[in-house]
Amino acid sequence: MSTSVRIDRRTCLQGVGAALALPLLDAMDWEDAAAESDFQPPIRLGFMYMPHGVIMDQFWPADAESFLSSPPPALESLRPVLDQCLVVRGISGVPIAPFNGAPHALELSTWLTATLPNPARRDEIDIAISADQIAANYIGAFTPLPSLELATMPQDWKENQEGLNEAYYSYCSYRSPTQPVPAETNPRNVLNRLFQTKDGVTPGSRAAQIDALDRSMLDVVLGGARELRRKLPAADRRKLDEYLDSVRAVERRIAAIERRQQEAALEKAGIRSRGRRGTDTPPIEIKIPEGDKRSEYMQVMCDLIVLAFQTDTTRVCTYIGSRPNGASYPELGFSDQHHSVTHHNNQAEKVRKVAAITAFNIEQFAYMINKMSNLQEGGGTLLDNCIMMWGSGLEDGNKHTRQNLPFILAGRGGGRLQTGRFLPDVRGNQGDLLTTLLLGAGIPLDRPVGIATKHIPELLREPVS
Amino acid sequence: MSDGVFSIERAAGAWRRDALQAGTVMLMLISACFSSRASLADQQSPAPLPARKAEAEKFFREQIAPFIKSYCLECHQNSRPTEAGVNFSPALKAPGHAAFTELWKKAVARVTAHDMPPEDMEQPTDQERESFRQWLEHVKYLNPPDPGPFVIRRLTRLEYSNTLRDLFGVPRSIAADLPDEVSGEGFLNSISPMQMEQYLGIANRVLDQVWAADDRPPTGFQVGLLGDRPATALDSPAEIRAFAARFAKRAYRRPPSDQELDVLLNVFELGKQNGLGDVAATGLMIKAMLVSPQFLFITPAREVDSEQQIVPLDDYHLASRLAYFLWATMPDEKLMGLADRGDLHARATLEAQVDRMLADPRSRAIFDGFGAQWLGVTDLPTRTFDAERFPQMTAGLRRSMYEEIRLVFDVVVRQNRSLIELIEGDYTFLNADLAAIYGMEGAVDGPKLRKVRLSDANRGGLLGMPGILAATSLPTRTSPVKRGVWVLERILGEVVPSPPPDVPALENQDPQAVAGLTLRERTELHRTNAVCANCHRILDPIGFGLENFDAIGRWRDVDANGHSIDAAGELPDGTRFSSPRELKAAIASHREQFVRNFVRRLLAYALCRRLEGYDEVVVDSMMQDIAQQEYRAQAVIRAVVTSYPFTHRRVKEERDIP
Repeated sequence: MSTSVRIDRRTCLQGVGAALALPLLDAMDWEDAAAESDFQPPIRLGFMYMPHGVIMDQFWPADAESFLSSPPPALESLRPVLDQCLVVRGISGVPIAPFNGAPHALELSTWLTATLPNPARRDEIDIAISADQIAANYIGAFTPLPSLELATMPQDWKENQEGLNEAYYSYCSYRSPTQPVPAETNPRNVLNRLFQTKDGVTPGSRAAQIDALDRSMLDVVLGGARELRRKLPAADRRKLDEYLDSVRAVERRIAAIERRQQEAALEKAGIRSRGRRGTDTPPIEIKIPEGDKRSEYMQVMCDLIVLAFQTDTTRVCTYIGSRPNGASYPELGFSDQHHSVTHHNNQAEKVRKVAAITAFNIEQFAYMINKMSNLQEGGGTLLDNCIMMWGSGLEDGNKHTRQNLPFILAGRGGGRLQTGRFLPDVRGNQGDLLTTLLLGAGIPLDRPVGIATKHIPELLREPVS
Repeated sequence: MSDGVFSIERAAGAWRRDALQAGTVMLMLISACFSSRASLADQQSPAPLPARKAEAEKFFREQIAPFIKSYCLECHQNSRPTEAGVNFSPALKAPGHAAFTELWKKAVARVTAHDMPPEDMEQPTDQERESFRQWLEHVKYLNPPDPGPFVIRRLTRLEYSNTLRDLFGVPRSIAADLPDEVSGEGFLNSISPMQMEQYLGIANRVLDQVWAADDRPPTGFQVGLLGDRPATALDSPAEIRAFAARFAKRAYRRPPSDQELDVLLNVFELGKQNGLGDVAATGLMIKAMLVSPQFLFITPAREVDSEQQIVPLDDYHLASRLAYFLWATMPDEKLMGLADRGDLHARATLEAQVDRMLADPRSRAIFDGFGAQWLGVTDLPTRTFDAERFPQMTAGLRRSMYEEIRLVFDVVVRQNRSLIELIEGDYTFLNADLAAIYGMEGAVDGPKLRKVRLSDANRGGLLGMPGILAATSLPTRTSPVKRGVWVLERILGEVVPSPPPDVPALENQDPQAVAGLTLRERTELHRTNAVCANCHRILDPIGFGLENFDAIGRWRDVDANGHSIDAAGELPDGTRFSSPRELKAAIASHREQFVRNFVRRLLAYALCRRLEGYDEVVVDSMMQDIAQQEYRAQAVIRAVVTSYPFTHRRVKEERDIP
């Protein structure tokens, strides 16, 4: 049994008091819109993570020439969209000394930061803003949610490695060096967050809305908090800044929702909004599974990402498909923990299991990419306007190596990325890759991401100035 | 059987406990008369111990600096890349700086384990290694007295939900959507937009439950605050301001300043301008409190004089620190009353409050917040074990294992027993399922845990508890290494260096090479490898001492492959043992070390930060008091609560590293 929530134009317009995403313009409107030559669909960025590395000879394509015709076993599920993918080899991870004993505590937290924690304050969170949050700071300003962070399982693994704060195990996104962003694990909460629907709440009641009054109230509270800030010692002021930043983000979000409500009301009255655009296919349906089958669960999270992008509710999503340690895959017919089988020492049975887990994770990514490639947007598809990255924080989980981190890129990023290729010898590090993707998404950077020293021009169709 | 034991014990102990309590009360009254003015805040900060400082400086000059220069600096100095990121150059200039506390501890651990300097380098003599080890005894005296900062701290999920419960009578589940987190050392003191949004959402839900608008009949909560007709109680600006002051004092855990009240009244006005009635606008004001930093964070009541570097906590700040430490919730009326009168910081008052608070059921928060984290069993109820090997290891049994540990911890704390009982106690709490694990089928019926006297000396105390034994095992088998590390770190407080990178776990050993070996023999292969040997020589033997317990804590004489168990081993200092019983006795004989570790961890939890530099001197003086009180649990808690760093804070930034 499953609950089906259909977010479509009608639900949207009929929802009384509930602020739903603006419905998408239909095909006729698009022809109109296409006439406005300056219109460009926005670029969206997505990141999906799997821990513990891959079985390399099953992941890397044999060579550039055979990539499209005979992809490696791990990428089999991507075959229908391979021409829209770009696989890059030769991206090295952040060297983790002096934290040699903490390969797993760091694989997730360095993945989008390309930075090591500050060794002098290792028991606190002190790392760097992550690439997704850099993007959110820029393109997030245009949408109700600056970014969306999801995870498949609760981030509650607690283990102290090298004296590092336990939270390094669990967090991928950092709003600032000291501010990890928790990920949402419940699809129903995600849906509510995206579209402000509340189960079992009558439309129009207070809990159904984040309303304008709340926004004004927060504004007054912010004023008071600034007052408090002036009286506190410096260390306290830094803490309060995180609070102020978070309150302002909520305010912006409420303001964006108000704008949407106004647009929806106008559209209901027959006045078409010119300010924004969406895709020209109806919004996809979300089915929230009742059982605990991992693939169904991950697919609904992928659906939510697609929906969030399709409705332009956010342009940045980060999905921790599986967290380091503690995860097992009963659906694949074995109960071993992912981490323990990755220390396979080339035993055939364990290698088989790691390969199966990797293929499973890539299948879920492929599910999402396929879906995006089937949604029309402007003259192309939703995927054409996305840059999606799948990857892991280790190359070989058996030996904890990080020389050639596995990455799959998908989507043309509005034409900036040149896909359908395998680049067997890209020389760069994790920071260089992230820098390149942000530049590809048109995000101006005042400094490269983490340890980056350059961007990687081979990935792009034309050089970035 | 268990009921019988329990009642006999009660009967025998009852009069003594009563007498003891009466005695305590008498003493408290007497001391309160004489010393209620002798407050902790008025005390000068502890003596700087100048003689010790001079001695430490000399020791550094003559022993440590030459050692570092001869054996370490060649690789670990200011240069790029620094070997393993370890750099002694700045530490040589400011050896006492708090930033180097960890560096010294790790260096001593590696040098003592003969892990450093590497084999192919010049080696120090045993005498030199021993002097280097003694450095930790000296370095703490280099630091000036420093309570550390008390950075404004966000309530944890547990504290936040408890506080909402106490403030509004709403169920704690109202905060269920917030992300899970730990408190204490390693506590995550940050806030994100999503959390902020959740706080706003939760505030809306709370208001929906407890606050009816003007045209509706008042809720019980409103009647409690404002009487049967809330609108009448709020019909003048003075009354509204008075209400705001009253409620904000509870929500902020301190009186609001005039400016803070102005902010709240502006919110009220905002509500009125938007067409809300007086009662609904008051609701909006309460909502504003719930998303204010004064509610979400623990903040000081008094602004501090900018000239001072270290100040005593004001009484409201202290009340919050105390209540969140022992109860994981807001201070109650009694604590607030003491803070109102400015009496709380008097040592006798604080000690009396500790006694009162420990008697309150809310003090179970000490185990759920601190104990479980210390022992590494927080996630035991949700851990997975191999279902084929251990079909009985259900969620119910794992929960019972956790409860067993909690109940024994609770006895030691609430009945003020010696902490050594956590190692050597001869009782525990069992239900039918746990009794089966103990091999005591039929000793207890049903699912309820009851106190049981144990006759088998291998059981009793943390080291014989299935929950601990399971939490230190792998899903399929025991791990002597994990158990060894657990005993060394969690019980004895030693620093265990982490393994070098790229070492295969035991499962990955060459299957042919290890065929036919017992787990002990396979583990002992560590010691044939020079890189591994230094540390595993210390770790593994402790774990072997517990090998008679399988991965879910059942007794066994032979392992899964039919090999008989060899439980002989020794502690780092050479104390030998050949059974869990003897291992327990060996650890109990290190009571000073065990209790010191407990004190350090509890102090770090209470302060929500790592201990550094000067804190070690504080722990030394606490240990003297605690030893005189036979290492009793409440002596430890009182010592933490009345300690210099708990009752003071540094308000200026730390001095810089030169």
